[in-house]
Amino acid sequence: MKLLLIEDEVELAKSIQDYLNSNDFVCEWAENFSSAVDKISIYNYDCILLDLMLPDGDGFDLLTELKNLDKTDGVIIISAKETLETRIEGFNLGADDYLVKPFHLSELLVRIQALIRRKQFNGNNKIIFNEIEIDTLSKVVKVNNQEIEFTKKEIDLLLFLVGNKNRVLSKGAIAEHLSGDMADMLDNHDFVYAHIKNLKGKLKSAQSKNYIKTIYGLGYKWQNE
Amino acid sequence: MNKKLLYKTQRTYLYFLILLFAIVAPLFYLIANTLYLHEIDETLLLTKSEFLNNSISKLELNDIPVWNRFNNNIEIQNSIGLKTDTLFNKLYFNFLENENEPYRVLNSPIRIEGKPYTLSIKSSLLESKDLIFTIAILFVVILVLLFFGILLINKFLSTRLWKPFYQTLQKIENFEIDKHSKPDFINSDIEEFDRLNKSIEKLIERNLIIYNNQREFVENAAHELQTPIAMFKAKIDTLIQRPDVTQKQWEILNSVNDTISRLNRLNRNLLLLSKIDKHYFSETETFSMKELIEKQLDFFIEQAKQKSIQIKTDFENDFNVNSKNGLTEIMFNNLLLNSISHNVQYGIINIRLAKKVLIISNTGKAEELPPEKLFNRFSKSNESVQGNGLGLAIVKKIADLNNWSITYSFSENKHSFSVQFK
Repeated sequence: MKLLLIEDEVELAKSIQDYLNSNDFVCEWAENFSSAVDKISIYNYDCILLDLMLPDGDGFDLLTELKNLDKTDGVIIISAKETLETRIEGFNLGADDYLVKPFHLSELLVRIQALIRRKQFNGNNKIIFNEIEIDTLSKVVKVNNQEIEFTKKEIDLLLFLVGNKNRVLSKGAIAEHLSGDMADMLDNHDFVYAHIKNLKGKLKSAQSKNYIKTIYGLGYKWQNE
Repeated sequence: MNKKLLYKTQRTYLYFLILLFAIVAPLFYLIANTLYLHEIDETLLLTKSEFLNNSISKLELNDIPVWNRFNNNIEIQNSIGLKTDTLFNKLYFNFLENENEPYRVLNSPIRIEGKPYTLSIKSSLLESKDLIFTIAILFVVILVLLFFGILLINKFLSTRLWKPFYQTLQKIENFEIDKHSKPDFINSDIEEFDRLNKSIEKLIERNLIIYNNQREFVENAAHELQTPIAMFKAKIDTLIQRPDVTQKQWEILNSVNDTISRLNRLNRNLLLLSKIDKHYFSETETFSMKELIEKQLDFFIEQAKQKSIQIKTDFENDFNVNSKNGLTEIMFNNLLLNSISHNVQYGIINIRLAKKVLIISNTGKAEELPPEKLFNRFSKSNESVQGNGLGLAIVKKIADLNNWSITYSFSENKHSFSVQFK
């Protein structure tokens, strides 16, 4: 999978690149508008991460440029702007997702995965991890081919964990993922523990192995034994 | 106590009139009386001259009793040894009226056939009393008419003259700096009011500029902070992936992470506040309050579960609100989150809809919050709760924007916030 990161903040770009590169992705980086245009006209990307405010251009123009080139690369806007207008404009110009800075890298990763699933597998939305099979479209989870009842939140959490497999996820990152827009308001992330406990319990009773590792009681990690 | 402007001028007029009355009335009486007496004295002296010129030469001593019998007011009496004319007041008994009446009397020495006599001429003063009384009444009537006339004219003029002033006053009273509508002053043809309007206009303009600058500063600052926070967050996300992180380090990283979250929350809220200021949320729609709440409720029930808090709802009196859905949602969310984070273990939260009122009450610290500081930015009641002190400020701002009134009360150990919708 090839990604293009268009971001002018060097340090942020490095962190994003680091996080994504070691996750089956090849993440290229363009630090300004002109080099981004060069890159998109030559290569095809599975997903483009686009910062709207670039030193030599507007991210929106890049979306127009993509359209002009008849490119169908998936685009996730990563921006500090969070007004409804910019969101709507982004989607109108062909962006697929919009992530407001600051975000957790784990969140960015699952967003990219979801986007690529939507773009490439055309209806085949199954994620398989050993004995666990998750259909992201119909929201059905099977363990050892046995359908298990999961709540929407639990499936969401499962996808987040599996998507970030072998990564340590802090409670805050999970809380923010689960509570969406409300995340900004929460001052307490304890509810994450309850969800993890329920998920673990359901997986265990379905004869699944325990893949969820607790890290010092402060975070979690999905790990193949 | 403050009095109206008109009252002050009217009162001055009244004082002046009373003073005028007190001084002028006795003075008037005195002068009128003196003048009248003077007139009478002249008449008496004239009568005497006429007597001396016409009658005295024809009078004989034998005629005196006859004269006296027919002339009541001009009597010839035996001499009382007078050398010159004397004038004085004297009471005479009137048989017709059966009472004493005041008279003005002129006694004058005369000689009839060489013998000294006293000529006594008198004139009733009763008429003069009536006259003076009548004049006095007239005087009072004129004065009173004058007074009321002045009052009425004054009142009429004041209301008309001061009208631009009151208009200006009302405009200033209705002006709110965060509502972006500058008051439109009507030009006055009175120089002072025109000056007043112009200086207020200038003042408001200057304040608006300062206010906007400040708001923009907050907005820009919050905005510019987003990227460094994003970097911070990303670096920590990278750092915690390292396999050699020890528990001690992990704990530190975790608390740094929490702090970053708090900083981010604070920043978002500041951005939100400045966005509300900017009237960014423009579209209004009509929606059911019950639906709005129910959409959010699951999330809060989940949050409340951590403290075993029970959320009770009473949506029987649902009502429609015409406003910005997003903002109303934020207001509700902030109120409810507050009621959870300031609650106690096994506490209770009541959400009730009544006639256009949303009431959220909750158990919590058994102590009333200071209502005057409650809605201020960065005022925290409880240091142990990790709030950023902006939640209620946002609630208040949203309520103010919609002209909803929000009140806080504390009774039966429950804190309640009620929002009265329009």
